[in-house]
Amino acid sequence: MKLRVAGIGVLAVLAWLLPYQLDSYLIHVANVVILFAILAIGLGLVMGIAGQINLAQIALFGVASYATAILTTRAGFGFWTAAALAMLIVAAIGLLIGTPALRMQSHYLGIVTLGLALALTNWVTNAHIAGGAEGITGIPAPTLPGIDLRNDYFFYYLELIVFALALAFGLFVVRTPLGRKMRAMRDDSLAAGAVGVEVPQLRMTAFFLASIYGGVAGVLYAGLIRYVAPETFSIANMFLLLAMVIIGGRQSLVGCVVGAVALSLLREVLVDYPTYAQVAYGTIVVLTVVFAPTGLAGLPVRARGLLQRLGWLRRDTGAPPKLGDFRPYDEVERPAEQVILRIDDVSMHFRGLKALQEVTMEITSGEIRGVVGPNGSGKTTLFNVVSGLYRPTSGRVWLGERDLTAARPHTLARAGVARTFQNLRLFPLLTVRENLLVALDQTSVLGSWRYALWQPGVWRHDRALRRQADELLDRFGLTAFADAAPGELPYGTQRRVEIARAMARHPRLLLLDEPAAGLNGEEVRQLSEIVRSIRSTGVTVVLIEHNMGLVMSLCERVTVFASGRVIADGTPAEVARAPQVVEAYLGDSAMSEDVPVATATEATR
Amino acid sequence: MFSSLRRRAAVMLLGLALPVALAACSAPGGDQGDSNKTDGPIKIALVDAQSGQLSSLGAWELKGARLAIDEWNAAGGINGRQIELGVFDDQGDPTVGTNLARKIASEGYIAMIGTAESAVTIAMAPILRESKIPNITSGQSPGLVAVKSPFLFLNGPTSVTYDETLAKYIVDTKGLKNIAMITNNGGYGKGEHDAFTKSLQARGVKPIEDQVVTADQKDFSAALTTIRQKNPQVIFIGAEEVQSGLIVKQARDLGITVPFAGAAPQGTPVFADTAGTANVEGTIVSSPYLSNEVSEASKKFAAAYKAKFNEDAEMHGAKAYDGTQILLNALKTSNVATGQALADAIRATKYAGLLGDFAFDDTGVGIFATRIGTIQGGKLVAAG
Repeated sequence: MKLRVAGIGVLAVLAWLLPYQLDSYLIHVANVVILFAILAIGLGLVMGIAGQINLAQIALFGVASYATAILTTRAGFGFWTAAALAMLIVAAIGLLIGTPALRMQSHYLGIVTLGLALALTNWVTNAHIAGGAEGITGIPAPTLPGIDLRNDYFFYYLELIVFALALAFGLFVVRTPLGRKMRAMRDDSLAAGAVGVEVPQLRMTAFFLASIYGGVAGVLYAGLIRYVAPETFSIANMFLLLAMVIIGGRQSLVGCVVGAVALSLLREVLVDYPTYAQVAYGTIVVLTVVFAPTGLAGLPVRARGLLQRLGWLRRDTGAPPKLGDFRPYDEVERPAEQVILRIDDVSMHFRGLKALQEVTMEITSGEIRGVVGPNGSGKTTLFNVVSGLYRPTSGRVWLGERDLTAARPHTLARAGVARTFQNLRLFPLLTVRENLLVALDQTSVLGSWRYALWQPGVWRHDRALRRQADELLDRFGLTAFADAAPGELPYGTQRRVEIARAMARHPRLLLLDEPAAGLNGEEVRQLSEIVRSIRSTGVTVVLIEHNMGLVMSLCERVTVFASGRVIADGTPAEVARAPQVVEAYLGDSAMSEDVPVATATEATR
Repeated sequence: MFSSLRRRAAVMLLGLALPVALAACSAPGGDQGDSNKTDGPIKIALVDAQSGQLSSLGAWELKGARLAIDEWNAAGGINGRQIELGVFDDQGDPTVGTNLARKIASEGYIAMIGTAESAVTIAMAPILRESKIPNITSGQSPGLVAVKSPFLFLNGPTSVTYDETLAKYIVDTKGLKNIAMITNNGGYGKGEHDAFTKSLQARGVKPIEDQVVTADQKDFSAALTTIRQKNPQVIFIGAEEVQSGLIVKQARDLGITVPFAGAAPQGTPVFADTAGTANVEGTIVSSPYLSNEVSEASKKFAAAYKAKFNEDAEMHGAKAYDGTQILLNALKTSNVATGQALADAIRATKYAGLLGDFAFDDTGVGIFATRIGTIQGGKLVAAG
């Protein structure tokens, strides 16, 4: 920690002294480098942190520069007034460019944003107000009392301060609830929705943030060069920016900055060989993607891994951390019995496949309900309908008195439905603690205005969340794994993390999809202890399970599915005797404990 | 123990850095490139596109300037000092141009030749003006005059002169009133479009068709078909060499037989080669430099050019040659002055060049006439 503070201090001093070493051309180069670094942070936030492919970042930069240029030279505003208006315009356009993200993702989104960027460049080249191909000259220099910002040296300090603030703010966002939700959304948007993250609003927020960074860089660019032309915002520059982010390491903002600086300097070296410059950038990007997929920022970790493999560096040889015991919840009085979940005549068809047919069931508060049936009988489809991932073809789903049939996953999560997934959907690039923190945060994305106006409030909120996460980690015996990545953990431990994450929402209704799959005997025993304790706090539990021993011992009622229909419903003993159930299991020694454990295929997903 | 050592190291580093910071506290960047040296070579920068779509223009410019400078150096330079030409590539990109303007200022160049692209020159002008570096450009956009920089000079007429002469010939002399236009939306094409439209307007003529294409377009069949339907007597082209050639070629393929008219690009070999020699027959060209045979000076220039570069001279090389000669003459008469004094010396220079007799006015334009030629038998000859 001290080393890090000292390192930042030294870097700051060096950056402050840098102009004394540079001639008037190199200081100009340094100024341009800083602008690209600010742009790269913005692109890193939207692409690396939030996982939204945005090929319009350079267009946002262009919008801000052109808006500043037009407002100062044509409308006669002062530089700073024009800059403020330009920021508003660029924010609006950023949100516009982000709207396709609500409907599509990945490369489709990339193509749509690229199209919007091209449209903008084309408009600028042709529009009279934007000066056409000749661009706009004579943008007035920004003024600050006592400082002549026409001097590139003073402009450097202005940029340096803005850059430091931009980087600090970016890192602040990444390490606090908003950034954590974005990373969760990037890793698995379905699971993020299921733990209450408002995915659509969050995507727009990501584009908004990127446009703010693009806007700041664009305004500074207009003030620095005092001239704008369409070439600057060309697709070639967009790909240069993209290369910076990929080379630096998408998932680290500092990496993005390093990439921007490195590639800008390389561009300066190659400026006399433009024929080879594009080839050189391309080669470097390919080499990075092949040999260092995590970019420059990921190199230290990869280097350490390599050294350990070669035996040059000692591995941590301490005893592997052990899963602690579950500490039961305090029991509360069992609430009055009422129907908490009512599934009313629900059908779910996928083209010809009828995954659910006229399913009706009621679940009473405080019970533990088992849902069993052969593979492909529609159990997981039922969960997906109840948790909002699917919209049923017909029928209604009631949570208490509320009709939540067509609600989004995050709305259901906020209404008190939590779930786990058959195939485990933890956020792989977040630590165990962060996985829980994402779920613990109950605030809405719309509350993010506090990031702009009241950062200490955000900080305090984050501290409170961390305390709750520590308490939750301790209760589930996961403290030793708090800072590990989920993928490094044993399977059974990952299952427990997922249950802990679901419980972080303080749900009323908990849906467990095959929680015992892949667990050994001792782990199954611990699981049933955990589920009982969860129920004792008044939470209603529904579990899909193939382990009949667990179902028989744990559940008060069991619903049996076959071919998308409910074929039996009752106490475990009643259900086990029902002839249609025996038949459904094809004369297998049906309800005994050796029913094969489900292989992890989800035919209906 | 270890961490306290580390802290001490950090404090020591800060302690070392502080005096440096205080010593130079006033303002960084005091050491601007000193351009007032009186010995060593005279540094002149040439900024042009040496790569990209406009690189042929840049190559011609470089050859013209190089020829002039080599002649002077062979004759002993100026005041016994050799002239050094630094070549910079602006890639046809105005923003790269603004970077280069700062670069030549910081590296102590005292004057600049170029660029051939008006948009780039306009972008560079404010910085060159601030650094007091005179610039002789080959651009011809009226926008160059609008910049009103006392450090900016043109080595040829502006588009206004080109197109006024052309309009006068077509409308007044030939009596052609049904004129169609096809121009591109780049810096050059836009300038041509505006200047020619204005000249027609002054004569009460409205173009019967006005097609604008993009600067990187390759297929003009839609625009040309529209023009064909209007049956014009002549078609005005405002586009660079290669694009103009493509337009003419495709027009002939569509069965358009009327002549084309345009400014300097239509007089170049690149235009004729792209379109095909038979297709450009009859093209009306407004140019200050019709051919290498117009005068004794141009014959001498063309011979030297051919001997040095083994290719035929053309207009852009001649313009750059003229511009460089003017600069070198001004340097000689002013005893290698810099900054404002050098700009004043250029303005005062009267020079009989390949393009005509230069006499600069306050706007930085030194020549106000072009001649009309037509392509006959593959050669550009003066129109009667």
